[in-house]
Amino acid sequence: MSLRHPSPPGFFFLVLLLTFVSGTSASAKYERSLETYLAPDVTLVNQDRQPVPLRQLLNSGKPVLLDFIYATCTTICPVLSAGFSNLQKKLGDEASGVQFVSVSIDPEHDRPEIMKAYLTRYRARPGWDYLTGTRTDIDQVMHAFDAYVSDKMSHYPLTLIKVPGKDQWLRIYGLTSTRDLLREYRQLYPGKAK
Amino acid sequence: MRLFYSFLLSVLLLLGPATTGQTENLVGGLTPDQALKAGERMYREGILPSGKPMQALVQGDIPVDGRMFTCRNCHLRSGLGTAEGTIISLPTNGRKLFRTLHRGAEIETNPPRHLLAKPFQSEDIRPTYTDESLADAIWTGRTPSGRELGAAMPRYLLAPPDMDILVYYLKHLSTDFSPGVDKQTLFFATVITDEVPAKDRRSMLGVLQAYIRDHNARSRHDEKRARHGPFYRQDRFAPYRRFDLSIWELHGPPSTWEKQLTDYAARKPVFALLGGISTRDWTPIDNFCNKNKIPCIFPVTDHPGLNPDNWYTLYFSRGLVEEAETAARYLANNRTETVPPLLVYDNDARSRTLTEAFIRQWTTLGQQPIRTLQLPTGTQARLAFWQRILSSGQQASLVLWLQRNAMKELFTLAPQHSALQSLLLSWRMLDSSSAGLPKAWRDKIRLTYPYRLPGQLNSRLSFVKSWLKLKKLPIENLHIQAQTYFLGWVLTGSTRMMGDDFYRDYFLDVIDMMNDEVYAIATVPRASFGAGQRYAVKGCYIVGLDEKDPAKLVPLTPWVVY
Repeated sequence: MSLRHPSPPGFFFLVLLLTFVSGTSASAKYERSLETYLAPDVTLVNQDRQPVPLRQLLNSGKPVLLDFIYATCTTICPVLSAGFSNLQKKLGDEASGVQFVSVSIDPEHDRPEIMKAYLTRYRARPGWDYLTGTRTDIDQVMHAFDAYVSDKMSHYPLTLIKVPGKDQWLRIYGLTSTRDLLREYRQLYPGKAK
Repeated sequence: MRLFYSFLLSVLLLLGPATTGQTENLVGGLTPDQALKAGERMYREGILPSGKPMQALVQGDIPVDGRMFTCRNCHLRSGLGTAEGTIISLPTNGRKLFRTLHRGAEIETNPPRHLLAKPFQSEDIRPTYTDESLADAIWTGRTPSGRELGAAMPRYLLAPPDMDILVYYLKHLSTDFSPGVDKQTLFFATVITDEVPAKDRRSMLGVLQAYIRDHNARSRHDEKRARHGPFYRQDRFAPYRRFDLSIWELHGPPSTWEKQLTDYAARKPVFALLGGISTRDWTPIDNFCNKNKIPCIFPVTDHPGLNPDNWYTLYFSRGLVEEAETAARYLANNRTETVPPLLVYDNDARSRTLTEAFIRQWTTLGQQPIRTLQLPTGTQARLAFWQRILSSGQQASLVLWLQRNAMKELFTLAPQHSALQSLLLSWRMLDSSSAGLPKAWRDKIRLTYPYRLPGQLNSRLSFVKSWLKLKKLPIENLHIQAQTYFLGWVLTGSTRMMGDDFYRDYFLDVIDMMNDEVYAIATVPRASFGAGQRYAVKGCYIVGLDEKDPAKLVPLTPWVVY
């Protein structure tokens, strides 16, 4: 079997098409809104098996990005996590001052060693914590951020960015490109663009 | 980033001209067999034939490589795809890609679609893929119908020979039905080893056969509708198959099991193994299933296979290993004494499994090495053994992976040794009863308890009991019966969802995509699934005894101890 590949000029055209056309047409639409959320006073466990008081982590004064994922997710979480990874990379040195938080929605399965391996796969830099906890605590967190799903298979793509100094969060529903996520982030946390 | 990848691809194209087409039988420069293997590695592991990770862009500008996620993540091992939340991953197997996609029913209608009046013919929504158009879709995200795939579908940056290999693999992925299915019947088997007590064997087999009978009892109408049902419901009716259950009895030592299983499978191929029961290590059966790509779902065993690379056996839980690891984490989290715990075990197979798993977890946690001692035989030797331990003056926690009988000498010493730190035991090793545990140590005893707490059992268990009564099955071993009841429930759902895609891998993919279960499962709080998760129940309580009523268990931890 062999494919009738495009001739080299045709292939270059294809690459150019990928470069200049799909970059815009493949960008997904998403919904954004400003919401007020109060994180519950629960202590979760991170990828290093360390207890993490959630409210304290989210109110440390750093910019915070939060999502809900699970390690064996097929479609949504890999894209969200690749997005976090790329945003960390784009932020460069600034990333060390930004708190990325992924909360597990499959807490029975997502144990610290699994979460650690997951973060390694996505080349997470310091400042990205993957948190798990009891089913009761995780349910509380999902409810608090209006992200509750009774079953992980029904979950949806959601990224939250904390508004500085307030209990408000920018809620982004849908999968975004890094360009869009960075733009949303910059509206809340202006800084040098990479 | 996009420009960088474009440049990279262009260089690849110039430096490494496609070898395809040079020899008619070669695919991307590889023989067809090599190409299938290389394509499988690309699809499942995201690794190119060169050994480097595949590169792609998602959402327009996010670079991903094969070490992050792969085709298999979204389209699953079988290639039949999945729907998760709001995102649908379409099938990418040969049978679906290389035929025209109609809106609505995927399977043949009765009468065939082309004989239906035009208004009844569903609309074509995508012409059949060709090798070239499939490659284009993987490169650019555009389908032959001109539709653009969602931005979550990676646009792969593959050199033409690598694309040849991937397309070739997809073309051969899930094309012919797996063995163990014909036009009327899905063939299953259940494995039972010869040492299993008769009561436990009846408990597993009785429930499983009742499910099979139930399924087939409705067959008159189901079979009729499968043959002559209305064309617009054929997608639902046509996949119906009767179930056939064989019993594969294994005799003798585990080293002979593979040969026996191979003989059974050769005589009558089966689509999957259902349930099964053994008091021995299930690993040889697990290995056989993996080698022959036969799914095995929910065998009743305390000793499940633990090889993370084996994919074909789905267990109810990790059994004793989950208990031991929970115990290790609990003790590590709650340690107050300076000396490490002392673990006592004996020659019982369950005791050894618990001990090995505890030590592994304890070591992983970076704790000071645990001390282990094997229990001697004989009443006098045991008495002296326990006296030495209790008189040593060290306030260690004791972890005793022993049956009640093996501890009777120890329990006689309880009144004189109230300063003991704590005593951790396995509820299952105690045959699920707290009877006979010494009163003097009631506040020190901790038990691993891998079930739903007693107070939470009633409604779920009542339902299972009612079902057993309805099927005229006496309650013999309720844990096994409840577990097999759950298996039947999963089987019903998964075969229905599988439709007419009779692929063994898809059978497991479908189960992996099932919702978490808290109702049909009677003896544990929750069963959950997920791609590649091979143990449905994940958790174990640590409980103590009520000081006034020793029969009452008091939970000391949540279901999962981290």
